[in-house]
Formats: sequence, C-alpha cells, structure tokens
Amino acid sequence: MIGNDLVDLEQAAKDSNWERKGYLDKIYTLKEQETIRSANHPNQLVWILWSMKEAVYKIHSRKTGIRSYAPTSLVCTNLIFNAGQVSGQLVTDSTHYYTCSSIEKSYIHTIAATSLTELSTITIEIYAYPSNLFDYKNLNPKCISHHGRFLALVY
Amino acid sequence: MNKEELIARLKPIVSNYSQNKAALDSINADTDFIKDLKINSANLVDVILDVEEEFDILIDNESMEKMLTVGASMEVIENKIAQK
Repeated sequence: MIGNDLVDLEQAAKDSNWERKGYLDKIYTLKEQETIRSANHPNQLVWILWSMKEAVYKIHSRKTGIRSYAPTSLVCTNLIFNAGQVSGQLVTDSTHYYTCSSIEKSYIHTIAATSLTELSTITIEIYAYPSNLFDYKNLNPKCISHHGRFLALVY
Repeated sequence: MNKEELIARLKPIVSNYSQNKAALDSINADTDFIKDLKINSANLVDVILDVEEEFDILIDNESMEKMLTVGASMEVIENKIAQK
C-alpha cells in the first residue's frame, strides 16, 4: 500500500497559524517539536512532518479500517536531509512506514509506503490544480492528494 | 447544558474552518468534520483548541482521537465538563 500528501505552502500559511499557543503540542511529539524549533526553516519542517504523518495516515487508516485523529501517535524518526529531499520513517502501533518528501518552493510533497522497496517503485504526477482540472479518477491512482493549487497522484 | 445548546456553541467554531457552508445548516450529531464539513485536517487542531477555550476544558490526546464528528465531540465535551 502506498500513500501521498501534498501541502501547498501558500494555502497552509493562509489557513493555519502553527505558532498559535498549544498548536504544536496537539500534533507533534516533544522530540518532533525540538526538531522544528532547532531547524533553519521551522515553517518548512512543520509542513514536512505534517505531510509525512498525513501520507502515512492514509495507508494506516485503510489498512486498519480505523479513522482517528491522533497525529502524535504517528512518530517521525530517522530524518535524513539530502538535496531538497527528506527521507524518514514513521512508527505507529509498532508498524513501520517509510517516507520520502520533496521540498519545492511552493509545496511539500511526501510519498509513503510499507517498505523501502515499495517506496522506490512509486510514480508521482503533480498537476497545477484546478487550472488543469480533469477527470483524474479515470487514471486509477493509488492515492490522491489535493491542496490549494496542486493535485498529486501516485501509482 | 442540553444537546441543542452544545451544538449551538460548537457551530460557530466549526463554521470558521468549514469549506462546505451548506452542510452547516443541517449540522447534527452525525455530521463528520472532514467528510461533511470539509474541514482541512490541519485545521482540526484549531477546532480542538477553540473548543478548549470555549468550554474551558483540556482535551487530552486520547479524547482528541475520537473527535471526527459533532456527536463524538459533544461526548468528549460533556465528559470533560463533568470532570471539572
């Protein structure tokens, strides 16, 4: 199973004030908050970690059939930054997931899978949306994410 | 506080973040924050923080997990008020 999540940074800045008191506590573990605070670009880190959690949640909730709002139970670990990409692992209910996030100027996009092998086989299509609106469901993507001006499909 | 009062106090909070204003008119216990009201998952945190302020309660992570519908949220709020 694979998942993906895109965060349009402009839309996120408009919709969310993560500096609001208590905000980070509700969605990030103390260790994740430390990572955010010590980052050169805290805003970027907030949305990288968020898209990692969301991409994994999409797999985990399908797998377990359980919907819940428990972002702190999806723990981001082993972050490795390399040339505009961040690879990481998430652990929840002792299940491991693997992620890779791309940092672009206007968005963050994360793909997630249950193994590194599966992760490496993912194909990504990102469209400017909705100016490029079309019947994307016919393409049978494995996972869809749209946010703000962008639509991301993974196969 | 009865259920109607509780919904009446919740409604303005969720209205701030809902992208489906039409669904707000028929808001009831079964209304789903994400599926029906189209609240962005990153804004659910704001809903929780606003609820804490509005009802002067603290919502722990275990309770927050369940807060995906109006009904589940009402239950959490009632429990937390009762514990005060």
